[in-house]
Amino acid sequence: MIELITEPAQLTPVLRPPALVMDLERLGSLNASRLSFARSLIRQMGRQRWHISCDRFELDALGHGQAIYRIQTPYGRYHAVIFSQRLDDSQRSDRVIANAWDVTFGLVEGDVEDALMTSLAENIPLQEAGRQHPRLLVISRANKSVRNFDVFVDALSKGSQPPVSLLKEAGYLYRTTAVYGNGKFGIADFGRLKENADFRRPFSAQMTAVYVLRQFSIAQVEHIARHRHAHSAVGLHIDLQRYLGIGNSTGLGMAPFLINHPQLINQWIHAREQALALAKMQIPSEEDRSQLLLLCRRAYHYFVETVVMDTHQTSRNAAVIEELSGVIAWLEQIAIEPDLWQQLTDWGEAALSLESQELLNALLIELYPAQVDVLEDAMGVDEKLDLTPDMPLVQLKQVIETHLDWALSEDFDDPVSCHWFWYRSVEKEEPRLGVRGAEDGVEKELSLAIAPRAQRTYRAISDYLEEHPRALTIEFLMAQPKFMDIIRRIQTMAATPYGEIRANLWHRDMKPIHLLRTKLSFLGANRFDPRSDRWVRVTFFQGAPLIDELNEEPADLSAFDDWSFPLMPSDSSGESAAQLATK
Amino acid sequence: MMNVSFNELQGLSRKAFIGIGFSDGHADDAADMVAWMESFDLHGLEALNAGLQHLMEEDPDTLPQILYQDGDLAVIDGQDLSVLRSSNLALELAFAKARARGLSVIKIRRCRQRQLIMGYLARLAGRGMNITAFWRNAQIPLTEQVVGFRANSSAPSIRVYSVEEVPEENEPNSGITIVMANHVDLLPTMRSDFRYDLLAKHEESDLMAVRDRAMVNGIEVEVSLWERLKVLAHMTLVASSAVSSRGAGEED
Repeated sequence: MIELITEPAQLTPVLRPPALVMDLERLGSLNASRLSFARSLIRQMGRQRWHISCDRFELDALGHGQAIYRIQTPYGRYHAVIFSQRLDDSQRSDRVIANAWDVTFGLVEGDVEDALMTSLAENIPLQEAGRQHPRLLVISRANKSVRNFDVFVDALSKGSQPPVSLLKEAGYLYRTTAVYGNGKFGIADFGRLKENADFRRPFSAQMTAVYVLRQFSIAQVEHIARHRHAHSAVGLHIDLQRYLGIGNSTGLGMAPFLINHPQLINQWIHAREQALALAKMQIPSEEDRSQLLLLCRRAYHYFVETVVMDTHQTSRNAAVIEELSGVIAWLEQIAIEPDLWQQLTDWGEAALSLESQELLNALLIELYPAQVDVLEDAMGVDEKLDLTPDMPLVQLKQVIETHLDWALSEDFDDPVSCHWFWYRSVEKEEPRLGVRGAEDGVEKELSLAIAPRAQRTYRAISDYLEEHPRALTIEFLMAQPKFMDIIRRIQTMAATPYGEIRANLWHRDMKPIHLLRTKLSFLGANRFDPRSDRWVRVTFFQGAPLIDELNEEPADLSAFDDWSFPLMPSDSSGESAAQLATK
Repeated sequence: MMNVSFNELQGLSRKAFIGIGFSDGHADDAADMVAWMESFDLHGLEALNAGLQHLMEEDPDTLPQILYQDGDLAVIDGQDLSVLRSSNLALELAFAKARARGLSVIKIRRCRQRQLIMGYLARLAGRGMNITAFWRNAQIPLTEQVVGFRANSSAPSIRVYSVEEVPEENEPNSGITIVMANHVDLLPTMRSDFRYDLLAKHEESDLMAVRDRAMVNGIEVEVSLWERLKVLAHMTLVASSAVSSRGAGEED
């Protein structure tokens, strides 16, 4: 008798199609996830027992002066150097064209000797106008949330805690307006960090600097309060400290990054999609369902508490609140089956807004750290767009038809499809949008829009093939070299699923804010508060463990693992809304 | 002198090349070539500075011409252009031929700033190609330079030497000859029955150490050249106005 042996089916994670994932509006609906850089960093800090201590805190009664924080990791020592100065209200601007800020700071590799400190003090406050030291890994600046800052100082100096409700609108005392890395203005190149065990992940050095600024902001308000009324002043309640984040104000300056780094964007999105696919493959237990319900309820309360000024975002958040109720009801009622998560996401795709769908995906990923967290080491890539000169031109044409069909379908004869052009202004090279045909500067347009370039390339290739049907790519390029960079990009990116954002960046209805949110979500931002379709305020590290908690080296690192969607602490009882929400 | 980062040098050079009139792709490559040279302390900026005026006067529409080609050989007329403008696609052609035939030879006649071609050769070596390039730097004394890259190595081996016994045929030669091989190491090793003086010798390991230092300490640049590049880069920017200021979004 022949025994039939059937091997268990090898399950492969099924990734969502690029046409779905790379839609700009969907990308503009992403929330931070456990793969976001701020989350990865806090886990790394806790796991590796980083120690952060204040080496210098020389501020006057108004909080102006210098502070230095030492960061000790198992592999190296770094210092965050912070300069605080008086800033006239009229000078306070979040635009890149500003020339002065309340606080400027940098992250230094190694120790800060006197000579280095002198150089840093001369240059960091100047930011772009300074010549920065090559041992600096990051430079940045931040402006006060004036209202929050004044109210916090006033309350603490009088011996009371500031009203927590203030933080519903702006959950921070400072908001950064630019965080520079990778060689900007003379600081260290990112290439130097490739072998650095602490900061080889993208943006981890930047997030570290921002995390330390959060601690400084707490210490500074307490310091000013003590100087104002030494006898009555109190420290900020620990729940409020934890609920404080660092804000960030981001404009169009961030947008070119998303287009100019397609391989990096592919890594980020691919890791997130892999995480989602792995999570959906898991067979859920009753415990898993309970945990997802807990996360959904917490997110629900987080959105209920969130106040944003933008009416469109307010209605998006309202939809999330309503839809999360539906998700909770669905989860409570449905029987557990092996493909429950697939059922959930299928139902979500049909029934929920993009914002709710992607929120649900981010929460689902939270359930499976063992499967997901290894992906955080796959977020970086050596970026190089290379030509394949010997590719037959007819094959290149097919590649465009297959991978850039979305670009070929755009009608660029329609003025609506060509409405905007992107350029850099002489004012600090600020990226701006101009109306084609109505504003000056189109001859200096940045080639950020991939769709029209892909379509022009396709037409030129098709024409050339009429005369030279057996031509190679290099032969076409020798005749028409201006297509070299776009062909290099098309050939390289054809091997990746998620690098190209599928949108016509010239289109009148294109919303740049979706580009900004895409990157901000991977950095780990929350509380998206658009100020226009080109400008957004967000908050980082709200709810994250404090430096003192890190230095205690707790055996239980759960607080370092899960601090997303933090809930507002209670004003009076001391019992947090987070605790109430889980009851 | 001032200290800049690799990324900063690459970024400003790219904008300067666009300001001169390079297409985006050629500006990318030219900036990579200059920054690559400078990171190995191979005087990329010096070469750029020396040829900058000529570069600005070149007609951006002039293209290198293929004079002859077959399966594994090509002769290109570089049209007296800088290699920053004329070499990248010619080298890609050689790369394609080597891929197809195992070995290719390409001669680029009449080209300028030949030192800078090393930056693009490094890129092709990074894609798994063995490469040797040869050219004559000067006629009196007759000086020759050979640059070799092992496949997947980011640093070359370089030999520069003067020849004492000058051949009878010694016409000025502004060309460069490149050999590419898929599978065979082409690193230069000096061996000759004729007398020569070795003027410079750079080994891969020495150059890698130089590059590592540049990544830590930054790159020294002449202030006047930096300012000149900034002026060129400025040509890519659009004048600001009240209307354009709104193009960044309403004041936050």
